[in-house]
Amino acid sequence: MAESLSARNIVKRYGGVVALSDGDLEVQAGEVVALIGANGSGKSTLSKVINGVVVLDGGQLLLDGNPIHFSSPQAAKNAGIATVFQELSLIPQMTVAENIWLTREPLNALGQVDRRAVRARTEELLALFEGTFKTGLQPDSPVDSLPPDEKQIIEILKAVSFDPWLVILDEATASLDSRQVQRLFELVKTWKQQGKAIIFVSHRMEEIFRIADKYSVLRNGRTVGAGNIKDIDEKQLIKLMIEKESVLGFLRGEGRSDGRVETETSLEVANLTADYVRGVSFKVRKGELLGIGGLRGQGQRHLLHSLFGDIPHSGAVKLFGNELHFRHPRDAMRKGFALVPGDRTKEGLLYIRSILDNLLLPSWRRYGLPLKVSHAKKEAARTGSSLNLKMAGLEEPVSSLSGGNAQKVVIGKWLMREPQVLLLDDPTKGVDVGTKAEFYALLTRLSNDGKTILFYSSDDEELIGLCDRVLVMYDGRIRSELAGETLTRENLIAASLGVSNGGAQ
Amino acid sequence: MRQSRWEALTARQPALFALVLLVLSLIVNLILQPNMFAKDTLNSNMRVFLPIILMAVGQAIVILAGGIDISVGGIVSIVNTVLATRVGLEGSSGEMWQVVFISLLIGVLAGAINGFFIAYLRLQPIITTYATSFLYAGLALLILPNPGGGIPGSIAALYRNSTPFSLPLAFYVIAILLFIWLYVSSTRYGKFLLAVGGKAEAAYETAVPVTAVQFSTYVISGFTAALAGIAITMLSGSGNADIGNSMTLNSITAVVIGGNALSGGVGGVVGPVMGAITLGIIQNIISFASIDTWWETLFKATIIVMALAAPGIVNLFRRRRV
Repeated sequence: MAESLSARNIVKRYGGVVALSDGDLEVQAGEVVALIGANGSGKSTLSKVINGVVVLDGGQLLLDGNPIHFSSPQAAKNAGIATVFQELSLIPQMTVAENIWLTREPLNALGQVDRRAVRARTEELLALFEGTFKTGLQPDSPVDSLPPDEKQIIEILKAVSFDPWLVILDEATASLDSRQVQRLFELVKTWKQQGKAIIFVSHRMEEIFRIADKYSVLRNGRTVGAGNIKDIDEKQLIKLMIEKESVLGFLRGEGRSDGRVETETSLEVANLTADYVRGVSFKVRKGELLGIGGLRGQGQRHLLHSLFGDIPHSGAVKLFGNELHFRHPRDAMRKGFALVPGDRTKEGLLYIRSILDNLLLPSWRRYGLPLKVSHAKKEAARTGSSLNLKMAGLEEPVSSLSGGNAQKVVIGKWLMREPQVLLLDDPTKGVDVGTKAEFYALLTRLSNDGKTILFYSSDDEELIGLCDRVLVMYDGRIRSELAGETLTRENLIAASLGVSNGGAQ
Repeated sequence: MRQSRWEALTARQPALFALVLLVLSLIVNLILQPNMFAKDTLNSNMRVFLPIILMAVGQAIVILAGGIDISVGGIVSIVNTVLATRVGLEGSSGEMWQVVFISLLIGVLAGAINGFFIAYLRLQPIITTYATSFLYAGLALLILPNPGGGIPGSIAALYRNSTPFSLPLAFYVIAILLFIWLYVSSTRYGKFLLAVGGKAEAAYETAVPVTAVQFSTYVISGFTAALAGIAITMLSGSGNADIGNSMTLNSITAVVIGGNALSGGVGGVVGPVMGAITLGIIQNIISFASIDTWWETLFKATIIVMALAAPGIVNLFRRRRV
């Protein structure tokens, strides 16, 4: 068994986006290292470099002090590294036993899978979590039929089934209940005594302090702090996670008229429920820029898509007192809603079509039959220049634009319809700093013009800089509402992580 | 998601639906043709079904691993034209077996070309094999522009009339195929097929050799298509570059009737073999009931369209209910 693994100065780029610029991690046999960081700080990327799923672009991995290169998950596995994947690496159609032993099935003399041995060994593994299963979980149950927590446990058992020396737990506790977490932590303690090393990636502060020996904090793809967990407290950790430099400083106070006159309520949502959204209620005033925060994947995307009529949902939605129930985005568009989706290349744009086609796509109806093409072109050009769109021409394909300019096209196509309610799903993701600043000015202007804006962002700085009020979502619910005095970085992060003193509840 | 009892049952035994359909079609056929289980009638039916059965086995394995092979008909045509031109009506049996061996190599090579494009260059299976199907069909036309040529009558008779222990030759071939499949499906490779077809990304993260598995399925499909080409040449005794054309749709239909999901990861080979037999019987029924033959294509196409649309229709109703 190996004794130590260190990752030094790891660099990983996806296309033009730098996910890791300088990642470091040291782990020794017999200890638990917590890998901590805010959204998009590079935690998952760093663990994927260590387990061979992605190949690093720079820096090096050392196993027991010797340089090592993992070209595939197989290579890392052979070096005794197991991973519990956040997205789960289970094949839904296969059974629990087949999934756990995939590629390592015990074979008989004829090279056939020894089903009895597989079953027996699976039962041994399942016994580790005995008593925490709600359904009658059997080695032969198809994984498809299991609830999320049991799938997660199978993923954990699969990782430890080949007796690795290093286990990476990537958000492994997110879907477990407290009893299952308790059992997992007992197992982690046994593994430590057996000389295994554990990398624990989690957002839950309480768990980190319960189980970890050491910590390593990532911020913006860079390791900014590491040490013994007993030398640090929750507050200091959160401070490490927060960015110090800010591109937003200049905006504060500028577009934000603090003593804003109370305007009428425009959008009112009561008990909205959909997949991943569990009963959300809130009100937005006319001309308000309401922020939605929280960790990624806490239901923000589904909330916005429900409001746009894109996914089935229940609950009451009112606009200026009129009850609405959208069954199709078309209904929402007619009422003046617009959605800037989270994945602009897939959902927001016809990527290979021209800028003109994209801008006019939601508005063709306005230009009549026969089409008034030159009139339409003129309006598209006006929208383009008002957004300061940097392009070679309206006929160029959207794919020729930079990320920031492509996002301007997404916003522009909706602005041409003069929407009343703007739903924004992380619009500044993958957008350069200069364009971000333009967006902030645009959003501030739109809200001053009386538009109602719902703005989800994974960048906490933006929420604090732009919004008067931020709803923090956690596990499909609104965990807390921060405004005025309570709208601080510390409170926002604390509420995102589910820490109890996250501002006004 | 709650499953109905039938859904749960067919999830565990995907071939069950194929068995029900097979028995039903057998009953109807028996009513129309009471002597169908007589030795000669049975043999003359089975020797016609065998080429599609062979093709369906390879197609099933490709579909199981999440792909599809539309070029199998083209491979059958190449093999048929090669045999008909290289052996000839006056050829010796020594020459015949030599060319049979070459034909199998051709099948493997054609499959390897598909596999290389799809597994290593990551191209879309349906588009790649659609393109190569024209390549292979075009080669067949180049080899034999007009129907003609053939193989010696004595060798054709060997295929047509062999009934060891009073059972059609096809039964022995099917038994061997199923035996091989039962073995393969119990090995690691069998699990890999399901894993790759089920969720290729998760299989990769679990260190399953995804690319090699995908590649291998097309090679197997090329090989069984070549076997089908040999069988149909021995059945017809002559060469025709168009012979494989209509067989591609049949092989896919057989797999769908056999209970394999077109999206991959569910099913096996036993169901598709039953599916291929069912298709043959349906063909029989249509000719006995003197129904126009175009009904047959319509029927097969309807089955595929329904199989493709079923998950979408279920989702549509689920959406409406909310």
